[in-house]
Amino acid sequence: MYQYTDFDRQFVHARAAQFRDQLERNLRGELTDDDFRALRLQNGWYIQRHAPMTRIAVPYGELSSRQLRMLARIAREFDKNYAHFTTRQNCQFNWIPLPKAADVMELLASVDMHGIQTSGNCIRNITSDAFAGLAPDEIVDPRPYCEILRQWSSLHPEFAFLPRKFKIAVSGAQEDRAAIAWHDVGLQLRKNGAGEVGFEVLVGGGMGRTPVIGTVVNSFVPWQQILVFLEAVVRVYNRYGRRDNMYKARIKILVKAEGQKFIDAVNAEFSNILERDADGAAHIIPQAELDRVAQCFVLPQGIDPAAQPWTPPADAPVAFKRWLDRNVHAHRAQGYKAVTLSLKRTGQAPGDVTDEQMELAANLADQYSLGELRVTHDQNLVLPWVRETELFALWQEAKAASFATPNIGFLTDMIACPGGDFCALANARSIPIAAAITERFEDLDELYDIGDIDLHISGCINSCGHHHSGHIGILGVDKDGKEWYQVSLGGSDGSTLSGQSVPGKVIGPSFAADEVPDVIEALITTYKRERQAAERFIDTVRRIGLAPFKQAADAERHATAA
Amino acid sequence: MKFVEKYQDPWHTAAGEDGPIPHPNALPNQLLTLEQWHAVRDSWPAGLPTGVIVPNDVDIETIEADLPRLQLIVLQFPKWIDGRAYSQARILRSRFRYGGEVRATGDVVVDMMPLLKRTGFNAVALRGDQKREHAERALGFFAGHYQGDVLEHRPLFARPPEERKAAAEFVNQGAAI
Repeated sequence: MYQYTDFDRQFVHARAAQFRDQLERNLRGELTDDDFRALRLQNGWYIQRHAPMTRIAVPYGELSSRQLRMLARIAREFDKNYAHFTTRQNCQFNWIPLPKAADVMELLASVDMHGIQTSGNCIRNITSDAFAGLAPDEIVDPRPYCEILRQWSSLHPEFAFLPRKFKIAVSGAQEDRAAIAWHDVGLQLRKNGAGEVGFEVLVGGGMGRTPVIGTVVNSFVPWQQILVFLEAVVRVYNRYGRRDNMYKARIKILVKAEGQKFIDAVNAEFSNILERDADGAAHIIPQAELDRVAQCFVLPQGIDPAAQPWTPPADAPVAFKRWLDRNVHAHRAQGYKAVTLSLKRTGQAPGDVTDEQMELAANLADQYSLGELRVTHDQNLVLPWVRETELFALWQEAKAASFATPNIGFLTDMIACPGGDFCALANARSIPIAAAITERFEDLDELYDIGDIDLHISGCINSCGHHHSGHIGILGVDKDGKEWYQVSLGGSDGSTLSGQSVPGKVIGPSFAADEVPDVIEALITTYKRERQAAERFIDTVRRIGLAPFKQAADAERHATAA
Repeated sequence: MKFVEKYQDPWHTAAGEDGPIPHPNALPNQLLTLEQWHAVRDSWPAGLPTGVIVPNDVDIETIEADLPRLQLIVLQFPKWIDGRAYSQARILRSRFRYGGEVRATGDVVVDMMPLLKRTGFNAVALRGDQKREHAERALGFFAGHYQGDVLEHRPLFARPPEERKAAAEFVNQGAAI
């Protein structure tokens, strides 16, 4: 993991002090709520349905047990004992009163955490592959670059008030586990023929009202120049992105509207910085800096690769084997595995954890994973450094702590936003829909039979639950003050399983809330009837098209019958 | 950073009852709109102290060739959360090496101060309800930043270790919280 330097630490403390000053001016009436809004957002404080929602950055998803214990303490002392992990690898609290905000930020600063740029129209927390540094298919470890990008983007003076939010995702593996094409900027690390490292740069992906897949604007930016290239991209956006309509303000609209002209403008700006600016070369990354940061991301001390591959004992329980099959992942260090702690189980919303569960997860991390965890894009936790010989012991403890549901990649391992139960933006609730589907598909044999499938649920068109990229997407919509749900099929996050990134297609008018579980079941039944051999859901949808699914879903309409 | 007080500002716009005068007279310390400047620049006397107001949706490159004749560039924040003028200021300083006054006007609030300073502004006209003492305090929270800026070109990684340490000590001595 990255180790904070004295500078990093003073920086986060300074930010906490600055925020306290702003908060106190607001509470004294010297800073209007309207002016305070943009300031608190850039520290992660929203005003929500019940209380402010605060979003804590977990840079590229890396979390220590010490930090997780602090999140547990904050959940216990300031919230109603809950936290929620998001698709952008962040952590959210829903019940902390605003006057306590500065105290919380100081506690976070004491464990090298913050909410800087987790909201607002600025460069947001950088996300990456949850298996970075340990995946066998990795080309280049993205974490040192993520950290350099995090530092560059933190309180960048020119880019704090962009037309709209700006999200960067980085992948360094063959498999895209960070949905990079769906981001404002997606960075794919590559090696060229000479073995040199660079980035393929995609710009203008995004969800929301207008789902767009990012455009490749440069197929190989040498790593040394990536900050300069991004400066060019963000400057063109800051200057020319629309500000008259917030629904057309994301960079994806600029890229779509301008096409090649956008790419030309970025290239011209890139040349201008390098050739004309007084400080044009200042942000070219020296090898020494990459080496300094990369030192934090070598194999941790205590990792001792095994000489022999491990095989589970033949008489191991079936449940353990299932867990190995679904929740345990290949590792580049022989004798080690990465283990997903599933945050998808009956009775709790996807991505939700209690303070007690966080303490338990922190203990598991200390005991089995060198004190380190990852937050995944799919809203689970991962223990990245587990010895194979300790898997059985870990499984037993994880089971007792409700983390061992062997459902990773299955229907119940769904992505869902907090929805209308908490979020002031939402048109409809996500959690009861997620709960109803989870209850309907509790049977593990059935989940196994259905196989790999991405179900994504968003409570509104802002798409925090990534419904566009789900094989099945569910979108909450509001009609005449009532909650309705639009269902789409065939979306992809860009993974090998899902195929090239593409938004799903809506299969007809919205459904009533109580129709949704029946609709999902009808879609699954149709798949099971139509599939060939080992064909997965998404492949069946692509092969036979939407019509049979639409017909089956329409048969479940009661409240919405035409 | 210079704080511009409305009634002590030596710069004057050339406006009549119907708005900006199309062809203002050549007087010192005139603060012209871009349209006025374009109307008069070919006949404008050399050496006359002159300022120009550049809206934030105009390419700052438009005035590049005129910069040696301009002592003041006024940039605008129609809303303080509209950050276009930061890029204009940055380009004025870093690319065009402009050395005159770059002033922030409009909806300028104290919490913008660190951003203004770091992108090359050296003068501000604060919004009426904003206090100068708050603006000065807003400049004091951070002893250093990660990325380079107009004042300090070097990002943190390009600065020698002593300087990085100095920033940390600033806080350890009780500067924050």
